[in-house]
Amino acid sequence: MSKKTRYFVLVSGAILTLGLGTGLVASYMGLPVSLLSSAAGPNELQYVPQDAAVVAYANVREVMNSEFRQRFRAMEPPSAERDEFEQKTGLKIDRDIDSVVAAFMPGPDGLAGDNPERSGVVLARGRFQAAQLEVLALQHGGVAEDYKGKRLLTHLERDNSHPMAVGFVESDLVALGGIAAVKRAIDAGADNRNVVSNNEMMRLVAELDSSNAWAVGRFDALANRAKLPSEVQAQLPPLSWFSAAGHVNGGVSGVFKAEALDEASAQNLRDVLRGFLAMAKLQAGSRPGMQQMVDSLQLSGEGKVVAMSFNIPSEFFDALEALAKQKQLNGR
Amino acid sequence: MSLGFWHASRRVFDLSLGEMLWSRRTIFMALVVGGPVLLALIVRALDVFGMTALRVNGRAVGGIGVFGVIMWMLFLRFIVPVLAVFYGTALMADEVEDKTLTYLFTRPIARGAVLVGKYLAYITCTMLVVLPAVMLVYFLVVPLREVPGTFGSLITDLGLLALGLAVYGAVFAFVGAFFKRPLVIGLVFTFGWEPTVMVLPGYLKQFTVAHYLQALVPHAMPSDGITSLLQGFLRDTPSMGVALFWLTVYAVGFLWLATRVVERREYILEQ
Repeated sequence: MSKKTRYFVLVSGAILTLGLGTGLVASYMGLPVSLLSSAAGPNELQYVPQDAAVVAYANVREVMNSEFRQRFRAMEPPSAERDEFEQKTGLKIDRDIDSVVAAFMPGPDGLAGDNPERSGVVLARGRFQAAQLEVLALQHGGVAEDYKGKRLLTHLERDNSHPMAVGFVESDLVALGGIAAVKRAIDAGADNRNVVSNNEMMRLVAELDSSNAWAVGRFDALANRAKLPSEVQAQLPPLSWFSAAGHVNGGVSGVFKAEALDEASAQNLRDVLRGFLAMAKLQAGSRPGMQQMVDSLQLSGEGKVVAMSFNIPSEFFDALEALAKQKQLNGR
Repeated sequence: MSLGFWHASRRVFDLSLGEMLWSRRTIFMALVVGGPVLLALIVRALDVFGMTALRVNGRAVGGIGVFGVIMWMLFLRFIVPVLAVFYGTALMADEVEDKTLTYLFTRPIARGAVLVGKYLAYITCTMLVVLPAVMLVYFLVVPLREVPGTFGSLITDLGLLALGLAVYGAVFAFVGAFFKRPLVIGLVFTFGWEPTVMVLPGYLKQFTVAHYLQALVPHAMPSDGITSLLQGFLRDTPSMGVALFWLTVYAVGFLWLATRVVERREYILEQ
């Protein structure tokens, strides 16, 4: 074998070995999401456990700065409790929180009711006074410990049930929830076994990435969580996945999507919703304020997908605001 | 002193591997295999700019779906048979055409060992180019987050490509050793016989390699028009065990037949 043939074999073998090695490491140990490719959705998803059935996100900064929020802020009454909370924790939500991700992880049987401290976790990104929060936790009987190199503040109820925890997973990211759920979030980030490797979930997240608030998940997890009577559950359409996304600025727009198990079920659901839409339009005809909102409702989707979108323009809220002011004046 | 069969094959393999790798045929192979890599680069670039490369019924096809389409449509249906035709039929035909067969046959080695050594060199040469190309395509098209869930199917795909190259190679090695115009016959078999018989009802599809390879494809076969639609209606997919058995029979059987032909045939070199 000549020298250049040997080099060719070596280069070719190296590409194969590198590819196989990367694949094996990714399969058995996980890989950081930021490596080579960027995943859809916020970075906080790295801390959402792999078995999460529902994931929700809100860009608190955008929502808080939106015209929509500013409009209602002026109407908010002053709150002493809010000031006290701010003073004790050093945390002002509309100033210090940038975004929030919440995840719901059902138990092995799909029901989380028996084990609530494992079932939900909230990841908040922002600016936190870690030292102040730790002192506050210790003053109230909390315990501070380290878990896999992350600071963990835990607190038990008086009857020692439902232990709650706050984990400082990154300098600007905290995980809140039951202690087991927070530990699982830290594990998910450390082992790279997180929801990012759930292809179905990430496919839906990728579709909603431009919204400033969204939620995606398995429909069965929602239905089980709602603990609906079996008669009602039997009437529910056979849906597999759902997603809801909203964009808040001057007005509010959003879309709710559901994926049925088969095309026939999706068509049935579309027919039912079409009927509801027609009825809503009839009802709204006599109420000019509602007309604009109902007109913005659009039913769409094909195949297994059913989608309902809406768009409430800022003019609608202008009208509502004027109506409220008018009522206040009349009351005086 | 005569060398043993496998020892002789090894010597021929060493000699032929370099010749094959640095022949003009390899430029053709690089061009053929470079196509999917280029396509994968385009898919990746589109993804970076937030565009979707492939949509079915208005919905974006994920990375592994695109990889499945490239694997099935380009590699298994086109590249593997084409490479096998061009390399397999040339194993003996090149030596006849270049009038260098005499030099090999006058060596104290079994004639069949010449063919087996060249066949092994063909498999190594094509795998050295095709398998890394598939690896590149996979990592370009499939996002890293999807790797843990799809890596198993990549391994299956690599095995399938190796098997396809081995089986088609054995078939065309026999064609090259037995027929006078092997390239034409090989192309007719690949682009005439196999696609036609695959859409016909009946047992004729059992006389194709594609029928058994298709049974091992892990991805859902993409529907690419009326041909796939017909195949869908007429599909008679054998089980994995049956497919592996017949592919092994084809590979071993045709290689044995090819060595028998080479051992017995009187090659007349045109002056």
